[in-house]
Amino acid sequence: MIPFQFITAFLLIFMGLYAFLYKRNLIKLILALDIIDSGIHLLLISLGYRLEDGTLPTAPIYTGYETLKGTPMVGPIPQALVLTSIVIGVCILALAMALTVNAYRHYGSLDINKLRRLRG
Amino acid sequence: MNVLPFLIIVPLMGAFSMPLSSLLGEKARSAWAVLVSALTLAVASKVFYDVWSTKQLLVYTLGDTTPLGKGVGFPIRILWEVDLFGALLALIVAFVAFMAIIYSLEYMKHDTGLEKYYTLITVLELGMLGIVITGDLFNFYVFLEIMSIASYALVAFRNDTWEGIEAGIKYMFVGSLASSFILLGIALLYGQYGTLTMSYLAVKIGQNPTFVGKAALGFFIGGLLFKSGAVPVHMWLADAHPAAPSSISAMLSGLVIKVGGIYALTRIAFSIYGTSINIKTVGWIIILFGCATLIVGNAMAVIQTDMKRLFAFSSVGQIGYILLGIGIGLAAYGTKVGDIALAGAVYHIVNHALMKALLFLVAGAVLHQIGTKNLNELSGLAKRMPFTSFAFLIGAAAIIGLPPLNGFASKWLIYESSALFNPFLAAVAVIGTAFCTAAYIRVLFTFFGRPSEVVDNAEEPGKAMMLPMLVLIVAIILMGLFPWQINDKIMLPTVDMLKDQLHYVAAVIGGA
Repeated sequence: MIPFQFITAFLLIFMGLYAFLYKRNLIKLILALDIIDSGIHLLLISLGYRLEDGTLPTAPIYTGYETLKGTPMVGPIPQALVLTSIVIGVCILALAMALTVNAYRHYGSLDINKLRRLRG
Repeated sequence: MNVLPFLIIVPLMGAFSMPLSSLLGEKARSAWAVLVSALTLAVASKVFYDVWSTKQLLVYTLGDTTPLGKGVGFPIRILWEVDLFGALLALIVAFVAFMAIIYSLEYMKHDTGLEKYYTLITVLELGMLGIVITGDLFNFYVFLEIMSIASYALVAFRNDTWEGIEAGIKYMFVGSLASSFILLGIALLYGQYGTLTMSYLAVKIGQNPTFVGKAALGFFIGGLLFKSGAVPVHMWLADAHPAAPSSISAMLSGLVIKVGGIYALTRIAFSIYGTSINIKTVGWIIILFGCATLIVGNAMAVIQTDMKRLFAFSSVGQIGYILLGIGIGLAAYGTKVGDIALAGAVYHIVNHALMKALLFLVAGAVLHQIGTKNLNELSGLAKRMPFTSFAFLIGAAAIIGLPPLNGFASKWLIYESSALFNPFLAAVAVIGTAFCTAAYIRVLFTFFGRPSEVVDNAEEPGKAMMLPMLVLIVAIILMGLFPWQINDKIMLPTVDMLKDQLHYVAAVIGGA
């Protein structure tokens, strides 16, 4: 059986792809990119999650208490990866917003179909 | 001494101290930019020489000295691993970036916000250097994004023009989607095999090639073909590369599409997957994309009236040749034909970086001195700008593949190997070259035609713009004089190291 987190992650990715392909507003396209990224982040995070014998895992902060109690920790690497990826995502978001503001100044519209002056 | 970390440290420090140096004035900032890129070039040459003379991989682990986790049993460190292919590309990246920065000293003089420009161009160089030296998949993704974000911002650098903004937006959306694909591929691989180190992944995939691993390869190929501008998804390239400032176009066309697309594709196909999957199928997929790319790119170049747009489409066409070479190298893995094709592809990556950088610098010189890049208005340029026209002549002849210049050797290797592999592919490649020749002959006739009134008062550009063009011309001619020596001494060892997956793995797993 596929864990429900994976299904949710791929649903998010496909929702984002749908919006990316069929929406025409620049802001909505930026949101679509963000939703795709969120889906991938959810996938990565849920890869590190594990449930052993019904005990809930703790955050991956090593204090010595965990080994004493024997409770499992979630995988730390995916969390580090997702943190990095979120930071990258924010950079892209900021740049995309800045470009969108500039595009509105030049074209007076947020419709991607209006951004068609380059051709040849 | 292992100089590898300085390949990242020097441009990183240089980039972010650029605004500080500009407090001391314009001269200090220019000097600092040139100094940083010259130092990077020196470090890259040292790395290349080290790898080339010893024929050994350079491995550098961040953090601990041993790549194996203490008591974990698999490598969890981030590590950098450079083979000859990576070192060769690092050298070319540092060289072309150095030329582009010298060129921008004069070319960008009239723009504002130049401390941001020099910061971004150095960060762009840093991202590419990081991609070619990394041995860790997530580290690769981070450097890929550093490179991509810097190039989106640089394409839209002149944000008072609609051209730059529109091209920047298109480039950014396509590039971010491609990056998402690559991240998804990395996530799938991590979920399946629990590691991100490339060499350890190679071991794991060799032991157990699952469906998820192959799906991840699909996402990688998709994302990286987007990034390299292969044909069904090449439209962003034809918009983004002409709209950027010319020094940036030279870096985008000469380096970014190769390092961020072709190099990563080659590294993933050869070093991570290698023979553990059905490599022939992957090779044929890349060959088909390559054929489509080289026909469409070169054919579209013929009908352009905008000089920079013509060069951008020509870049698409040349990427087709490189993809064709790499595809044959994969499909004929382990045979002599495959080796020749790969050597041709690697050779063409280097040659095209030099040629296309030169051509875009010529376009920039014309645009800077005359103010238009429309070919219909530029008739008779050669009388007023003889040096620039000569530079164009050399670049065009090299890209078509005339014998005394460097393009001949690499294209010949690709024709030869594709003819041996499958004569149909050779026919396609020659048709592509016919279109390419037609496109450049047209520009040549424009340059040497009857002078129009637009070019009457044109003058040659200043020294800072002439010097990079001159150096590139000399490099092209020198490489053209010794094609087979370069092939035997550099390209064939590169191919041997690239194909030697066992060695790539052993350098890390065998305990560094």
